[in-house]
Amino acid sequence: MAGIDTGGGHGGKRSSNHEIPLIPFIDFLLCLVMFLLVTAVWSHMARIEADAKVPGPPREDEQDKIEPEKELHVHAKERKFQLVWKEGSTVVEESEVERVSVNVGDDVTFPELAKKIGKQWTDHGSHRAAADKKFDRAILHTDNNTEFGVVIAVLDAVYTPQREFLVGNKTEEVPAFHVTFAAK
Amino acid sequence: MSGGKPLSRFHQPIEVPGRRLLHHIHLNFVKKKVVGGGGRSMNQEIPLIPFIDFLLCIVLFLLASFSASGELPIDKNVKLPNAMNAIEMMEAPIVAVTATQILVDGIPAGSTRAIIDSNTKQKIEELSEILKNKRELWKQLKPNEPFPGNVILQVDRKVPALVVKSVFQTAAFAGYPAVSFMVGRLAKE
Repeated sequence: MAGIDTGGGHGGKRSSNHEIPLIPFIDFLLCLVMFLLVTAVWSHMARIEADAKVPGPPREDEQDKIEPEKELHVHAKERKFQLVWKEGSTVVEESEVERVSVNVGDDVTFPELAKKIGKQWTDHGSHRAAADKKFDRAILHTDNNTEFGVVIAVLDAVYTPQREFLVGNKTEEVPAFHVTFAAK
Repeated sequence: MSGGKPLSRFHQPIEVPGRRLLHHIHLNFVKKKVVGGGGRSMNQEIPLIPFIDFLLCIVLFLLASFSASGELPIDKNVKLPNAMNAIEMMEAPIVAVTATQILVDGIPAGSTRAIIDSNTKQKIEELSEILKNKRELWKQLKPNEPFPGNVILQVDRKVPALVVKSVFQTAAFAGYPAVSFMVGRLAKE
């Protein structure tokens, strides 16, 4: 095993060779490994973003007049989803998707809605270039009684279309929309 | 006096001195090996150094991924929904919304039942106060950094949208416009 050998030990003197006690060291390492494995945390949690479009304090560089941009309004109704592209108060396009849900375990998903929103973004999305720092905005209108699980399923569908986004020198795939809730 | 011959025809308790250990094995090639005569020694060194290196690598990996704060605190009454297009978690105050109450980092901050009973979207005063206090504390601790305004809502999947909207609005007006919803990860198709 591991040791220190200086080749001495002659002439009546005590030898200076030493064996390094590896066994207790290995025991210690094994204990450490077991402790760390037992306390290890592998989180499976994630998050879905939404932002509140609330007015902040006035900034010096703020523009006096902001041009209205196209926004996608997603109305979650009882039997269908209504998708309305609006520019200010002007309706640009309106379409509907049947509310067909697919259950994945205990969760609900809306793959048809996700497909439709992806196509809508391809046709009407304004911010597609990787260098574009702005994102298209989607506004979610839901009934007050809608369960949160369904709200998340709709948000998940809205986040399905992805675009490239430049972060430093790298491009990343990020959701094409920023979503907020409609306030009545 | 040689070769284990008895000194007389009577059994003698004292035997001729000589090597005894493992000499009784009848198979010659085994005997030769085990007594150490001739062939290669049966002793083997266990290669401990690569084993220690391996252990050290595991220890370093586990130490790097060690979290002293433990798993993200999930209220036992909250059953989270799952989503495919979710992103990594971040550090922010967590507002848990169960079927009965609202908690900020485990501290009660309102009643879900009261919002459902009133049937109107409303500002939750207790929640607003707690979030504002947290924001002030953050600003005192990091006076030179802009406040990120992130908050994570940990909402039970059965809670109605009215409650979610009320919490969302309260958080936004308390200075947390970047709201995220905690979800589990659903495998992409």
